[in-house]
Amino acid sequence: MTELLNHLGQGLGVVLFQSVYWLFGIIPLPMNVLFCLLGALVGTLVGVLPGIGTVATIAMLLPITFGLPPVGALIMLAGIYYGAQYGGSTTSVLVNIPGEATSVVTCLDGHQMARQGRAGPALSIAAIGSFFAGCVATVLVAALGAPLTSLALLFGPAEYFSLMVLGLIFAVVLAKGSVLKAIVMVLTGLLLSMVGSDLETGAGRMTFDIAELADGIGFANIAMGLFGFAEIIRNLELPAESRDIVQAKITGLMPTRKDLMDSAGAIVRGTGLGSLLGILPGGGAVIASFAAYTFEKRIAKDPSRFGRGAIEGVAAPESANNAAAQTSFIPLLTLGIPPNAVMALMVGAMTIHGIVPGPQVMTKQPELFWGMISSMWVGNLMLIVINLPLVGVWVSLLRVPYRLLFPSIIVFCCIGIYSINNSPTDVVISAIFGVIGFWLVKHDFEPAPLTLGFVLGPLMEENLRRAMLIARGDVSVFFTRPISAVLLITAIILLVVAALPKIRRRRDEVFVE
Amino acid sequence: MSDGATPSRGGAGFQIRTHNLIGGLVIGLLGVALLGYALYTPNTTVPRIISALIALIGFATAMGLVPVPGPRDFYGGLVLLMLPTLALIASAELPGQRGFAFGPGTAPRLFSLVLAALSAAVAVGGVFTEGPPIEKYKIRGPLLVIIAILSFAAMIRPLGLFPATFLAFMISILGSTEMRWVESLIGAAAMTIFCWLLFVVLLNLPFQLWPRFY
Repeated sequence: MTELLNHLGQGLGVVLFQSVYWLFGIIPLPMNVLFCLLGALVGTLVGVLPGIGTVATIAMLLPITFGLPPVGALIMLAGIYYGAQYGGSTTSVLVNIPGEATSVVTCLDGHQMARQGRAGPALSIAAIGSFFAGCVATVLVAALGAPLTSLALLFGPAEYFSLMVLGLIFAVVLAKGSVLKAIVMVLTGLLLSMVGSDLETGAGRMTFDIAELADGIGFANIAMGLFGFAEIIRNLELPAESRDIVQAKITGLMPTRKDLMDSAGAIVRGTGLGSLLGILPGGGAVIASFAAYTFEKRIAKDPSRFGRGAIEGVAAPESANNAAAQTSFIPLLTLGIPPNAVMALMVGAMTIHGIVPGPQVMTKQPELFWGMISSMWVGNLMLIVINLPLVGVWVSLLRVPYRLLFPSIIVFCCIGIYSINNSPTDVVISAIFGVIGFWLVKHDFEPAPLTLGFVLGPLMEENLRRAMLIARGDVSVFFTRPISAVLLITAIILLVVAALPKIRRRRDEVFVE
Repeated sequence: MSDGATPSRGGAGFQIRTHNLIGGLVIGLLGVALLGYALYTPNTTVPRIISALIALIGFATAMGLVPVPGPRDFYGGLVLLMLPTLALIASAELPGQRGFAFGPGTAPRLFSLVLAALSAAVAVGGVFTEGPPIEKYKIRGPLLVIIAILSFAAMIRPLGLFPATFLAFMISILGSTEMRWVESLIGAAAMTIFCWLLFVVLLNLPFQLWPRFY
């Protein structure tokens, strides 16, 4: 416990007291707090825009962190991440369009509340829930960091491989739609990740003698194509939307005592569920918000209130998605395995700054590790401070018609992608993935498992090759080493359970709501 | 997919439907192209067989010989089957396993074969279970957006940031059905200036701004 406090203190020290001298070098400003604020602000700004999700937001804003020192850059990216999530819920409440996939369920009750003139309480309860979840998750990340890191040291290649298999199976089970199709998507991602030079021999693989493919396909390009461009193309296909923005002036931001009492339980339950689902590889914020909403509805005394402006229906998913967003840092920071697409982008950002994510980050760069964790708490505090007063700004942003918004997003994405490597080919590649993403959705394939497969691909192949080499070609090594065996058997059980008809129906139910 | 709104029901396989005619032909032609590539590359027995099968199934579908009650799964599975086939051809010349050590070609071939089997299973599922029809594809919006992105890629090097951003904005806005000229021109100019301020002035990224004349 004292150790935990020590660590958090060290982190807060990094965040609060590393200062820059501003205005003729007289006034000390806490630099990392500024990055955190800036990240949260920009993240919210982009997150508010409908039709552009967290992954695309981060991919798009990656270039703006290039010039910063590593700690600052990561703090800013983390700020962008939960800023984007928070912005998404603002859009959900005010317009009946989810700004992010994580806030789809928030639409159901949040927008109803707004129509009843209670947009203020809906927004503030979302902020309060997110803040509470953020506090709990921050402590959880700090507490689990050290033990999991020491666990990671016990892992050999075989264990790592099995762990990643388990992560991919989680992604398959938690994805919506058919299990078979999700597995197909994971494998597609794995296969795409093998394009480029072989890690051990340097032989060019599946590059078709195209020089730009020798380094492989960049993850930011895929993410931008599948989650940015594809989404825009899809939105263009829909008939001209009638956005019903809440026109009434938002008065009375503060929730009443009754609101607080009603939502307290939902916030706590949402936080618990979200933290758990966030740690699981392949889980993440989207599934957490759905699960929390379904859970609240199931245990409610009067389920019919849901969908008609029940405050629990806003509080639970918002707490859950924020908790999950933060606990999903745990596998990344301790084991070096990104559990979802957003964390995969963080890996990219870390690599650009010369940091290799994994157990050694905590021992070699404690200021980075604890600084980032403490910044999560600071970031959440800032979100609650900046967002409520700025609601008016976000509303006016939402009034910009989509016909002007989408070309701006496209142009911005193009410049963002181009600036990562100064390469026009990257822009072309992401355009291709935009078309692919559009096609996949038409055929009910989910892009999320594909991205996870793509990210884990190189790590998986490397560990598989090493494990096989150490075991002298004996495949049974994955089942004779105890940790690896447990992980693989869990994966198999999960897959079998997900394929059972009864569970399958349950899964469908959760996603239909 | 002109007839995309009406799904062909399970038993009524033996009649030509427009969307199966088009979809089948596309699949068949792609299969033939793959087969050609495979025949041209040595050491590709497995992908040759798979691509020949894809082509056959495609043409059979076009002629109405294959019932397609679940077109999303059927066509989705077939197209995804082409990806591992292509990967198998492309990695055919990579050295494989030597002793206990994986070669560069081992993992791609391994994963390709598994993916091929599973995508085939998805396609087979589309023959035996009923599913929703494929949504209609609208051409104008998506096409213009893609053209805008590609033209940005083509223009950014020779023409520089200002013309590329402005033109890409104007091309993509043509994809909207409710475009207005004056508003769009102002929007494009504003966005161009904003991007210049953000990326060049604030973030100091090395962009070329205007065309360079030699």
